[in-house]
Amino acid sequence: MLCSTIRQILVNTERQYGPEDAVRYKIGKNKIESKSYTQLKKDSESFSCVLEALGEQGSHVAVIGATSYSWLAAYFGIVNCGSVAVPLDASLPADELCELVDRADASVLVLDEIRKDVGEAVRERCPKLRHLISMQKEESGEEALSFWQLLREHEGPCAYEPDPDKLCTILFTSGTTGKSKGVMLTQRNLAENATCLDMKIPPRTVILSVLPIHHAYCLSMDILKGISLGSVICINDSLLRVAKNIKLFQPNMILMVPLMIETMAKKLEEVSGLPDSLVKRQIFGKQFHTICSGGAYLPPAMIDLFNRYGITILQGYGMTECSPVISTTVSWNIRKESVGQLLPNCEAKTVDEELWVRGSSVMLGYYKMPEETAEALEDGWLKTGDLGYADEEGFVYLTGRKKNLIITKNGENVSPEELENKIGENRLVQEILVREQEGVIEAEIFPDYDYAKKKHIRDIRAALQQILDEYNQGAPVYKRVYSLKVRETEFEKNTSRKIKRY
Amino acid sequence: MFELLVRLICNYVEVEPENIHPESRFMEDLGFTSFDFMSMLGELEDELDVEIDQKEAADIRTVQEAADYLEKLKAEE
Repeated sequence: MLCSTIRQILVNTERQYGPEDAVRYKIGKNKIESKSYTQLKKDSESFSCVLEALGEQGSHVAVIGATSYSWLAAYFGIVNCGSVAVPLDASLPADELCELVDRADASVLVLDEIRKDVGEAVRERCPKLRHLISMQKEESGEEALSFWQLLREHEGPCAYEPDPDKLCTILFTSGTTGKSKGVMLTQRNLAENATCLDMKIPPRTVILSVLPIHHAYCLSMDILKGISLGSVICINDSLLRVAKNIKLFQPNMILMVPLMIETMAKKLEEVSGLPDSLVKRQIFGKQFHTICSGGAYLPPAMIDLFNRYGITILQGYGMTECSPVISTTVSWNIRKESVGQLLPNCEAKTVDEELWVRGSSVMLGYYKMPEETAEALEDGWLKTGDLGYADEEGFVYLTGRKKNLIITKNGENVSPEELENKIGENRLVQEILVREQEGVIEAEIFPDYDYAKKKHIRDIRAALQQILDEYNQGAPVYKRVYSLKVRETEFEKNTSRKIKRY
Repeated sequence: MFELLVRLICNYVEVEPENIHPESRFMEDLGFTSFDFMSMLGELEDELDVEIDQKEAADIRTVQEAADYLEKLKAEE
């Protein structure tokens, strides 16, 4: 059923499946706790009341943490009372998180204690922040308010009906110039993206959510679509334990990025001498049947390989700016070379080989970045930055990329310029080019040989590797550079003296 | 510990056991992806009955560093 607000999604499903499990998560090594749809609706409405009581209804509220029940209750509480949620990547360094909290004009921060260092840093660096709420603290104190105590003190209900066309979520995504951009999405953008297509996924499907929650793909497909279908959303507690958690939660479906699919393929192929059906049962369980793939390019051979084991891979394509799904494969109409059919709320055209899309899931723009917004949007059309086209039946085919972004196999978008600027700060680095090479990020560096001589640096390669090691240590895993190429000559430049990338 | 690691490494990447050295780096030299590495550590959690911290694990670069880290966890058990 098409819903135009996130509140509608939750209210409809709660009406139908109220006492049934909505979320399952681990509370010990092999112990599972669950929360019902009624509880999720109640807790989220209580958090809406908390924001009202704090005088923050309508404010921007940053949320930092891994997927958890508290995270979900906070998110629904924020967006369902007309406030704006700003989910941030919990793996970023504290100074970057402070910059994003500040740039998003957040006046409230809901924080998982895994990043209590951020709690300390924001006090000094984010003057607009008025309230810090800890997801774990049992009692409110001077340092932070307790999420759960607040919920007890300001119990719902909250019957506020959000405006479908108002901003409700800001998601940050890598910009091609190195500065991340806040994608502004409305209730309608997200809710219609999740509900406009009936994928014939049965209700009460058990989903294991393994992707980071601050990503549009996870938020829209695992959470919003999952809830719209009355699914059971199981939370994977660590990337180390995906295999173990598959056995524990026994999901029917998992959303994955190609990086994970390739590792799981190795697991399937590692078991030899057993029939395919037994291998599948051993690794994924008898009940498992579907993987949704998105975030990056998936080699079509993977679709065949998993099919052999009775697992369907549904490939999709999208970008945060489109809430995020643009096209998806449905189980009854698979074309391996295509990234699926356009969603019913999305139309496409090709302009100078670039795919442009338009529809109810296209963002409002980038937060406080009018120039970047004007570059990305034209008369309601979103320029995807990808080269490709949609055929008469709406199947989308991608042929290349126009924008200068590295899309890693785990679906993260990395700006080469951001890394070049950071690593290039070192005096030994005269020129640097960052790109993807065989699945990893590579830095090609032309060192300052005069500087090396002056400083008596003999092993230049080792010195450059040390610079990369130091950079890597402070960077999130997906932004780390795992390959180094040292140049003896300067890079070739174009007429404006910029390094030629290709 | 090193031998156990070598055995598991060979399940994830196509490399001969004799080409795996203590100083071999998982990503740069052995061709691991970050998720291969996390999955392998997940298996080691079971084999060694230890609990690995994902954040700490992300800073492990070489086979020797992994062996030392796991030995330390095992000793703390």
